Amino acid sequence: MMQRLTILAPMTALSFFGAAGNAFAGGRSEPWQMWFQPAASPVMERIIEFHNLLFVIEVSIVTLVLGLMCYIIVRFNAKANPVPTKTTHNTLLEVVWTGVPLLILMVIAVPSLNLLYYADRIENIEMTLKVTGNQWFWTYSYPDHGGFEFDSVIVPDDELKEGQPRLLTVDNEVVLPVETNIRLLFTSSDVIHNWAVPSLGLKLDTVAGRINENWMRINKEGDYYGMCSELCGINHGFMPIHVKAVSKADFAEWVETARKEFAGAGGPAPVRVAETGAR
Amino acid sequence: MMADQETAVAGGHDGGHDGGHGHHPTGWRRWLFSTNHKDIGTMYIVLSLVAALVGGAMSFWIRLELLDPGIQFNVFGAGEEAAYFQFYNVLVTGHAFIMVFFVVMPALIGGFGNWFVPLMIGAPDMAFPRMNNVSFWLLAAALVLLLVAAFTQGGPGTGWTIYPPLSNADFHPGAAVDLGILSLHLAGASSVLGAINLITTIFNMRAPGMTIHRMPLFCWSILVTAFLLLMAIPVLAGGLTMLLTDRNFGTAFFDAARGGDPVLWQHIFWFFGHPEVYIIIIPAFGIVSQVVSTFSRKPIFGYLGMVYAMVFIGFVGFVVWAHHMYTAGLDVDTRAYFISASLVIAVPTGIKIFSWLATMWGGSIDFRVPMMFACGFIFLFVMGGVTGVALANAGMDIAFHDTYFVVAHFHYVMAIAAVFGMFTGFYYWIGKMCGRQYPRVLARIHFWSFFIGVNVVFFPQHFSGMAGMPRRIPDYPDNYWGWNYVSSIGAFITTASTLLFFFIVWRTLTAGEKVPANQWGEGATTLEWTVESPAPFHTFEELPDMTDKQADE
Amino acid sequence: MTATRTDNRKKNRLTAMVLFTVAGSMVGLAFAAVPLYKLFCQVTGFGGTPRIAAQAPAAAPTDRTITVRFDANVNPALPWRFEPKKTQVTVRAGEPTVAYYRATNWSDAPVTGTATFNVTPFKAGEYFSKIDCFCFTEQRLEAGEEVAMGVEFFVDPEIFNDPNTQDVTAITLSYTFYPAAKGKGKKGGKPRQAKAKQAKSLGPVSVAGRPVKG
Repeated sequence: MMQRLTILAPMTALSFFGAAGNAFAGGRSEPWQMWFQPAASPVMERIIEFHNLLFVIEVSIVTLVLGLMCYIIVRFNAKANPVPTKTTHNTLLEVVWTGVPLLILMVIAVPSLNLLYYADRIENIEMTLKVTGNQWFWTYSYPDHGGFEFDSVIVPDDELKEGQPRLLTVDNEVVLPVETNIRLLFTSSDVIHNWAVPSLGLKLDTVAGRINENWMRINKEGDYYGMCSELCGINHGFMPIHVKAVSKADFAEWVETARKEFAGAGGPAPVRVAETGAR
Repeated sequence: MMADQETAVAGGHDGGHDGGHGHHPTGWRRWLFSTNHKDIGTMYIVLSLVAALVGGAMSFWIRLELLDPGIQFNVFGAGEEAAYFQFYNVLVTGHAFIMVFFVVMPALIGGFGNWFVPLMIGAPDMAFPRMNNVSFWLLAAALVLLLVAAFTQGGPGTGWTIYPPLSNADFHPGAAVDLGILSLHLAGASSVLGAINLITTIFNMRAPGMTIHRMPLFCWSILVTAFLLLMAIPVLAGGLTMLLTDRNFGTAFFDAARGGDPVLWQHIFWFFGHPEVYIIIIPAFGIVSQVVSTFSRKPIFGYLGMVYAMVFIGFVGFVVWAHHMYTAGLDVDTRAYFISASLVIAVPTGIKIFSWLATMWGGSIDFRVPMMFACGFIFLFVMGGVTGVALANAGMDIAFHDTYFVVAHFHYVMAIAAVFGMFTGFYYWIGKMCGRQYPRVLARIHFWSFFIGVNVVFFPQHFSGMAGMPRRIPDYPDNYWGWNYVSSIGAFITTASTLLFFFIVWRTLTAGEKVPANQWGEGATTLEWTVESPAPFHTFEELPDMTDKQADE
Repeated sequence: MTATRTDNRKKNRLTAMVLFTVAGSMVGLAFAAVPLYKLFCQVTGFGGTPRIAAQAPAAAPTDRTITVRFDANVNPALPWRFEPKKTQVTVRAGEPTVAYYRATNWSDAPVTGTATFNVTPFKAGEYFSKIDCFCFTEQRLEAGEEVAMGVEFFVDPEIFNDPNTQDVTAITLSYTFYPAAKGKGKKGGKPRQAKAKQAKSLGPVSVAGRPVKG
């Protein structure tokens, strides 16, 4: 997969976005994207909402400082203002620029804490998905549906089918029902990984020897992609996450087939065909 | 002038530490055995420049690899992707270690700190000149050891955070991580010795009348930094020792299988790691304060506020560490606390920004190159600061953690802002250090090319990060291509600008104009401008008396 | 002048001594963090660390119920199968309950394992108490042996009074089995069961048998 540098030929690289763009169905980034992926869960909706507030504050502060600097550059350069003042104190000013930031911080802190506690509260859970990080693939198990489990391994570039996104496609995607409160349990069999799906507002470490817990609710059907978000060794960039959200009925149907397909899970550790290489 | 004629006195003035070196040592002995704060400072700066070439080359490689989707530079050949991906992780790790420990810290603390703290407080030298020599050579050895580690058995591909289990003997079985740990131990010992030296010098060797509240802000910044080093580095040393014994002697501090806890490492690391960020940036605050005051031809606005803002930042820096661990799986109340504490840091940083602006306000500003870099610093620091406020929120961090947004944020605040601080100091003080002026036009081109370059590199990374691109990956899904491409173009501009800087250094040293003792005029009020340029080998044999001078505020 | 210089040297040395002491105690603090962190987790339930109780609570169990879920993991280096017998049970708060896991050694050699554990949500850790657990000691399984391993626990009714835990309707108890005394160190690991002095061994017991309680 060596590619030549396209320093002076961006069109070459743009051309293959044509193909990728056609197949785009949400749940992952678009070319030249400058903002969040569209929210597909209540937590992500709230994150984006909170960020809209933060963004206004950020831009205002940068604009204020930049504006002041520009004014200073024009008004107080040596030519425009040959004699400097000797002012070194202004108590009112100092109180203001200590107090106003404090107020702004409170404006930030209240919605921030609300978001934090909202994202943490796990209520009316209807099912559980357990995610296990491995070097370098994910194992998913469904303890409430008979406990079947399967591995989800990246599909190499040369085996991709038409329309499958590179570095995001896996052999067995994790199928979940929409409009269902799902408990997520995270653990790892080796190093620390991190299961992250941007459009679902999810990101949590998988740590061996303990579980972490989170929850999610997917708003609508679709494919949602993510990538491992904690440096976990050689193939860290090559353990994608593909969540396939389906209707509750389709999910029930899928569970029946998956039970048969992945039967016998939990037995002696199967020989896992992940990408090889020294750890 | 004084110095060369009064070397005998100088020996006595060094408090006996330097008694045997009454003469001006020459040749290699002058450098290897140097106990002179200016020579040691120079060596630190040279080490920083050399390390910057290595660390910069690493980052350039990373940007070239990310210029296009796919793997570009698999130097190990087809079929050896694993070796190349490990190498990529080593690049990511090495770039961080080198830039933090061997570029920014040596230049700002070891280099400018050594050179100008004694000059600014009117001391003849550091309190412990021989220990100063040891500090430098420990750091040089550490750099060599780190480079050896990078080429040992695949190298340490752990990231600079060295999180176990990835960094333990199961997942990095070779000697690479051990060598890396030893390198950090040496660098840490160097820093702690340096910090003790600087604190002692500042506490005990100020000239008569140079009260602590008259001390220039650069000295204050170094004092705060030295205390942070003194408190933070030993914690890292302790953690590294535990990691080393876990790897080699069967302890289980961080091994979950035997009752340890890998998350404990993260707590220990970030207890060091967060103050480390301030260790990097606070000296730059100090330099920028001096420069802004000098070129506005005004005393600094709100001197005491500036001092205590730094002290407060240093203090609060120790109680916010877990905001680096929001997605590690922390209790919700813990995260709530760390949100609040982290947000509070915005207040003293705001005080600093506005005090700089107020210093300029009403000034008669001469936009010489150091001042341009200082203004660039303020802008970049504000840019990184506001994204920092966003990242302090644990809820927001779900979206941002481990994405390029974080990369953009911390490069703005602690990488390019710190580097702008270094360039500010360089152009401000190079006349004092070598007696020659930098080439003005080239220096202006350097400023603009570097400013544009780094912004083109890092600003688009906010977009990649918001779109969800993770850090530390050698290849990315094709849709992330656009902003990565722009970012890599910025890397070309920045690299060219950096090479221009090295050319400027060479031109300055070989063909720069000679400069007088005070090249900046009435705005430059600190003591280093009272000695000739270049500063003689020995200064302040006669301690300057500051008793009746106006306080520097 | 000379006198001042000598004074200065003394003063410098004193300052340096103090500073070295500060640096040294920070190293000490880093090491002290290990036991302190452990203690902190046990006392506050931080990170979902369950409590260890010597006996069942004196107060009568309440009528309010809570679901306890069981999760099991095996480190790939341990040739065992390990799973809860039931995925979840509903218990009355304050009432001691025994739950069982099933562990099978599928290798052809005896293997000793040891388990780490935590509960989620983390904020429930301080309300979840274990009276007795197979995780307090190392467990040895003969080749091909299958055993039931018990854990006796109760949920503190206080969980219903804490505003923070109002949303908690289910607590997940998770174990991860590792090979015991793993690692390349010759000195061996620190004995992980040392802290559970008051714990009585419950298992392993045969599948059919009831746990032997002391």
